[in-house]
Amino acid sequence: MAISVSQIPHGDPNVDQLYAETRDLRLNGFLLFMVSDLVLFSSIIFAYLYLRNSGQGWPPPGFSRLDVAFAAFNSVVLFGSGVTMHFALENWKHGNFIKFANWMVATIVLGAGFLSGQGYEYWTLYQKMHVSWSGSGIFGASFFTLTGMHGFHVFAGVIYLTVLLLQATNGKYTQHKHFGLTAGTLYWHFVDVIWVLLFSIFYLF
Amino acid sequence: MAVAAAPTHGGGVADHIHPEPHSFIRRYIFSIDHKIIGIQYIVTAFLFMVMGGLLAELIRVQLMNHSGTFVKPDTFNELYSIHGSTMVWLVIIPLLTGGFGNFVFPLQIGARDVAFPWLNMLSFWIFPVAGLMLYSSFLMGAPVAGWTEYPPMSLLGGPGTSMWAAAIFLIGVSSTLTGINFLVTILKMRAPGMTFTRMPLFVWGQLATAPLLMIATTALGAALAALFIERQFGVPFFDPTRGGSPVLWQHMFWFYSHPAVYIMILPAFGMISEIFPTFARKPIFGYKMIAFSTVAIALLSFMVWAHHMFTSGMAPFLQLPFMILTMFIAIPTGIKIFSWVATLWGGKIHLTTSMMFAIGFIATFTFGGLTGVYLSAVPFDLHAHGTYFIVAHLHYVLVGGSLMAIFAGMYFWYPKMSGRIMNEFWGKVHFWLFFIGFNATFIPMHWLGLLGMPRRVAVYDPQFQFWNQFASISSFVMTAGILVFFINAIVSLRTGKKAGANPWGARTLEWQISSPPPYYNFKKVPAVLAAPYDFAEPLPYRGLEGELDPNVPAPVAAGH
Repeated sequence: MAISVSQIPHGDPNVDQLYAETRDLRLNGFLLFMVSDLVLFSSIIFAYLYLRNSGQGWPPPGFSRLDVAFAAFNSVVLFGSGVTMHFALENWKHGNFIKFANWMVATIVLGAGFLSGQGYEYWTLYQKMHVSWSGSGIFGASFFTLTGMHGFHVFAGVIYLTVLLLQATNGKYTQHKHFGLTAGTLYWHFVDVIWVLLFSIFYLF
Repeated sequence: MAVAAAPTHGGGVADHIHPEPHSFIRRYIFSIDHKIIGIQYIVTAFLFMVMGGLLAELIRVQLMNHSGTFVKPDTFNELYSIHGSTMVWLVIIPLLTGGFGNFVFPLQIGARDVAFPWLNMLSFWIFPVAGLMLYSSFLMGAPVAGWTEYPPMSLLGGPGTSMWAAAIFLIGVSSTLTGINFLVTILKMRAPGMTFTRMPLFVWGQLATAPLLMIATTALGAALAALFIERQFGVPFFDPTRGGSPVLWQHMFWFYSHPAVYIMILPAFGMISEIFPTFARKPIFGYKMIAFSTVAIALLSFMVWAHHMFTSGMAPFLQLPFMILTMFIAIPTGIKIFSWVATLWGGKIHLTTSMMFAIGFIATFTFGGLTGVYLSAVPFDLHAHGTYFIVAHLHYVLVGGSLMAIFAGMYFWYPKMSGRIMNEFWGKVHFWLFFIGFNATFIPMHWLGLLGMPRRVAVYDPQFQFWNQFASISSFVMTAGILVFFINAIVSLRTGKKAGANPWGARTLEWQISSPPPYYNFKKVPAVLAAPYDFAEPLPYRGLEGELDPNVPAPVAAGH
């Protein structure tokens, strides 16, 4: 690793280099933020699995399994929004603003659609099976806490993406300087990945 | 990007010299300067230490008599719960990470600030707010289940328990942000030439601590959030009558709180590793092994949490791996202790106050570490769990370990922070009062615990009264020592001897610039050619010319 002093750049680095490193730092920070967010989810998921395996069987007596079909449809909506988000960023990188905006709007609409679907699911559970957050033992507690946490992340993401779209419209980002859009995309994919986990442990297994 | 990709150069952003703010508020209150924020952390944490110490003395006054009537039993429960919470979350963790971490390590890696200065300011300002929230719980019925707040008792405690959970959650957010900030700073903003094996060992300590802050604290946040919503909204997680599990809380809590133990000691190890070579005038012994053992301890810390739960009901086949993994921790810790002793061996030892605290640290921490190895053994733990033996052990590692190192660090870095040296005579008075008072307070608790005195009780069997009185009186001696320290720290701001840039003749980067350092730290980011500890060689830096105060005193002005 020895480097000689003469090789070390001194004086003012050029602007591009400064910019590259700025983005680098923020990207690192953002990735670490997502790691700690993942730990937050993992802890509650651990709690759920712990309670689920505490001996009374799952679902607990008096409850039936969750409706996979509707949740699967809703998942497709959310994963679809991940795909549209990907196209939005790619189009931005290629300078196609109109296509970018269209894909962004599609993403936001799909995200909002997922939230509505979840709201419908909560409503059905409550109306038909009387499952609620605080009144249904560990079944309601774990389901509503975890999916609610995730839903809050989606909600925050929808707001975030809307802000990003407005910022992009107002010229905050350029084709090469768009850390906000990169972060938004990463966040949105992160929320998708969390849903894969939640869908598996609540609906499939 | 070529430069950004080179592992040895990450100082791009830091090459900006930001203009210095001129308004008092932007400079000293809502500052984004890591040095000011570090000092803010230290001052705030010491204020909370006064509160936590006061609670400790109230506890000791109550225990002077076996049928103590100084406070009601419920109040006694509140006292030790808030005492523990204060000392862990508002004193030791903020001092070691936000305080010394913020002030020292960016200087040591040759950065002009941390990676995210505004985030740093946010981290700091969450901390006093959360601290006040914690203390406000006294007004509404404070938590009564100790700093660990095991359900079901924490579910039954007063409304303040929810406030406690919210306050600790906020502290956790602050810690997580600090961890992210420090990790990015250390990984990306080191001065050119500062490879991993050229980093000062204090930086290694912070590097190992930052992921713990980031990951473990978030896990605790989940547990606290669950406790909060269970108490406030009746959503069952931990209540066994509604299908929940109290043991689940213990898993979630200790998955954080065991790494937290190492958050409270790894930076302290780093401090000791800076102080010993400086005052022994010898290169640190086993640099790479100390760095490696720091990382090893950080990794192991995630695999041992259930050793706190041997009596909570767990399968015997799970007890064994947790016991063995816990014992493994003694190996990297032992490597450190022996490396430090070997550093002192044959060195030219300068017994400054800082050095005395560092040597005292080795004695008391090793003692506390050994009782830790006892406790990791399941059969012994079944006997000692929940007794004063635990109280003795944890105070030996947290007070005799972390706090002693903090005092060593205070005497060591105070000149860099203030430009003046703390009074050495009163420093030594502080040391002896504290060291004798501390040991006399906590040694008797070992045999009190082995004889069966349970912890967290307001009244106890009369046969234990003599040693409790002995501990209480000794604790007053320890407190007197800390008062001497506070007065010394305040008075020395005005009357202390001028420090100059490098009063101890230390070799890490922060001592090569003036005291206190200028706003931008380094006029020119220096180049680093080697690890800093080789006292026989010239300083391994280039590009520092003209930085030094012209009135540099001869090395080691204080002490002998």
